[in-house]
Amino acid sequence: MKLITAIIKPFKLDDVKSALQAYGITGMTVSEASGFGRTRGHTEVYRGAEYTVDLIPKVRLEVVVDDGDAEKVIDTIVKAASTGAIGDGKVWSVPVDHIVRVRTGERGVDAI
Amino acid sequence: MGTRERRERSDASDKELAQLFHDALAMCEIEQAQIGLAAVGGYGRGELAPGSDLDIVILHSGLPESALSQMVNQLLNPLWSVGRQVDYSVRTRAETKHVSRGDFKVALGLLDIRYIAGNRQLIDAVAADAKTNWQKNIRDYLQPLRQSIEERAKRSGELAFLLEPDLKESRGGLRDIHALRAIEKSSLVPVAMARLAESESLIANVRDVLHAVTKRHRDQLLLTEQDAVARELGFADADLLMTELSKAARAVDYVMQLTWHEISQKLDTSFFKRRRHTPVAKGLEIYRGEIRIAPGYHTASDPGLGVRAAALAAQRGLRLSVETAIEIAENFTPMPVPWPRAAREDLVALLGAGSAMIDPFEALDQEGLIERWIPEWSHVRFLPQRNVLHHHTVDRHMIQTAVQAAALTRQVHRPDILLVAALFHDIGKGYEGQDHSDYGQVLIKPLAERLGFDEDDSELIAQMVKHHLLLSAVATRRDLEDPATIEYVKNLVPSAELLELLHSLSIADGEATGRTAWSDWKASLVADLVKRTLSSMQGIEPAAQVELTEAQLAKAATGELSVTIESRDGFLDIEVIAPDRPGLLSTVAAVLSISRLDVRSAKTRTVNRSAVMNWLVSIDVNVEQPTPQAIIEKLDRAMEDPEGLQSRITDRISSYRRSPGLFVPPPVVTFYNRVATDATVIEVRMHDQPGILYIVTKAISEFGADIRAAIVTTLGAEAFDTIYVSDLAGGALAEDRAMGLTRAIEKVLATNS
Repeated sequence: MKLITAIIKPFKLDDVKSALQAYGITGMTVSEASGFGRTRGHTEVYRGAEYTVDLIPKVRLEVVVDDGDAEKVIDTIVKAASTGAIGDGKVWSVPVDHIVRVRTGERGVDAI
Repeated sequence: MGTRERRERSDASDKELAQLFHDALAMCEIEQAQIGLAAVGGYGRGELAPGSDLDIVILHSGLPESALSQMVNQLLNPLWSVGRQVDYSVRTRAETKHVSRGDFKVALGLLDIRYIAGNRQLIDAVAADAKTNWQKNIRDYLQPLRQSIEERAKRSGELAFLLEPDLKESRGGLRDIHALRAIEKSSLVPVAMARLAESESLIANVRDVLHAVTKRHRDQLLLTEQDAVARELGFADADLLMTELSKAARAVDYVMQLTWHEISQKLDTSFFKRRRHTPVAKGLEIYRGEIRIAPGYHTASDPGLGVRAAALAAQRGLRLSVETAIEIAENFTPMPVPWPRAAREDLVALLGAGSAMIDPFEALDQEGLIERWIPEWSHVRFLPQRNVLHHHTVDRHMIQTAVQAAALTRQVHRPDILLVAALFHDIGKGYEGQDHSDYGQVLIKPLAERLGFDEDDSELIAQMVKHHLLLSAVATRRDLEDPATIEYVKNLVPSAELLELLHSLSIADGEATGRTAWSDWKASLVADLVKRTLSSMQGIEPAAQVELTEAQLAKAATGELSVTIESRDGFLDIEVIAPDRPGLLSTVAAVLSISRLDVRSAKTRTVNRSAVMNWLVSIDVNVEQPTPQAIIEKLDRAMEDPEGLQSRITDRISSYRRSPGLFVPPPVVTFYNRVATDATVIEVRMHDQPGILYIVTKAISEFGADIRAAIVTTLGAEAFDTIYVSDLAGGALAEDRAMGLTRAIEKVLATNS
């Protein structure tokens, strides 16, 4: 199993969600996140004072999938989240050892 | 579920405890005469909810420590081993007396002491001690009791308005009912307990069912459990249950307020320090720390009295007398339509007071006054919302939004519009099949007009209600870098003024809703959207200099001092035309202020070496309407004796003290250099107070700048001044001078407010 994590632009969440649902993914975890990548934020002037906006709001989306689905799910996210502009985000996956559905106690792929 | 079940549970526990008690005595070889077991608190009252703690005391006649601890272990081990929660204390009669004298919570719990087993005389004696002690020392217990009630309310919120209330701890909940019963037992004042019978049985039943449904000893009624609890109690749906709970809690709260009022009337000056009658506004005075109607005042001819009283109470951080609220409701006089300016100002002053507005607003609402002035309010009153983001009923959420908006009044050009829109932004909720923003727009437009806002302002308020979710929605769901997104917002929000207002409303609404709906993350997205949209718009034009009439120009040409006064809508319109001289505006402002004329708005402009000033002022309750001659004399004297004027205005300013609890956002001063060709425009946003215009204009004169024109607007407690200044040599100030002047004004405002 793989845990796929995607950092995307907030407004792309709806697109990514529907693309994943269309693929057959039924559950995911979404949280508010902020950070920066190669763009490193930018400098702004407000009321005469200069300040740096170094943390840009993003959405963090996490989903656990079977090994065989991982590549396709990543592709689906990348396709749906892409605008071609700077700051579109990142997607990565890591292996998952155990997964348990709390209510039923099911384990492994059954618990996804 | 009900009283009978609670009683049965309590009886069963009694039996079990009595058996264990006798076994333990036998085991430890202790005589029954030396020891007794009693229940206290809720268990003492014979009310035991499923899963409640057993609250007991073990009373003895001086047994040694070792025997006691052995006996207590014998008694309680069997209970602990099956997971029963037991709260116990072990004391002699004398120790009990001593402890309860110093600890009101112990004293309170002992009022409900009830015999279970052992020496009955001992327990009866302690019960009698407890009652005597409570009655004798009630005055000492009142302060900590009231404090504990208020702290509890602060911690656990209000049962009537929370979507997930704590049935025991929240204001209006079971603990408040017990506190009222304790006050009744003191015989200090009568307590209307009969009015609470239904409330108590409903709240207690809901709590029992909740414990049974969740199989847990927890008193917070969560959204996820409301359906099951409602079903079990025979309500058609959870909304009906919650509405009934709100009403029950409201009744408790009302009796609580009445009771404290009775107590404050009964106790002498030691409870509320002052007994002076201090007149503070037309028909109103401060008496014993409350705002109330002045004795003998004819309330029926004064429709604005209620809003005025609430505004005063809020701005001064005082309570509104319960009797006054009742009297206003009984002698209800409908507000003229549209509301007079004074009533609208009072509404804005009430809303602008932040959290201090809640109590007076509630007092009016409990007497049904809000609904009578604003019939649209009835529909959202106690209206629950089945929504995981919200914490409060719709009415309380809107009040909370107004409270949050009061902190943002310096961020906008129209604080009055922001506050009113905040109070009504969800007014369209609860209508089947209607989008609440769309329907809110339909409802608010005529409502705003009734409140006395003109056509343009009413439309502005309606647009705010219509689009109050727009910025949050767009900021999180649309690409902010796409020019089409900005165009979309601009189409719906065409002016910078509306955008600025919506931005503050979004923040206030979000913060009032709670952390799940609003976070720094979301705030930064919304701020980014606003910034991008604003930068593609024309900024907000500062208020333009006033156009003068032919007659005014002719008078100005004579170079003489003239004053005319006209009465209008309860205010005075004072026109002053005077030869210009340095510091003229601050001198006139000071003279008006020491004459106790409160400036509500002003428009001044200097032409041909004369200044033409139009002042709209309200008159202090304690002074008579001045004549033009009197104003001219005072002006002459002020110009001859600037030092005398200075000391009188200083007295006037220092005699005004803002209520220490009132949160007022700090003043904001900004300048624009490219708006007018011959002047720098200074905008000052601040809390209104006597002499404030004098302070600002004097700072400008002392800085060495000349005031060309001023547009002063005050609505409620919010002042917004636009001042055109030029250098003594003429022309706008250089950038660094303008910045210096801005700082200078900020500094005097910081030291004088």
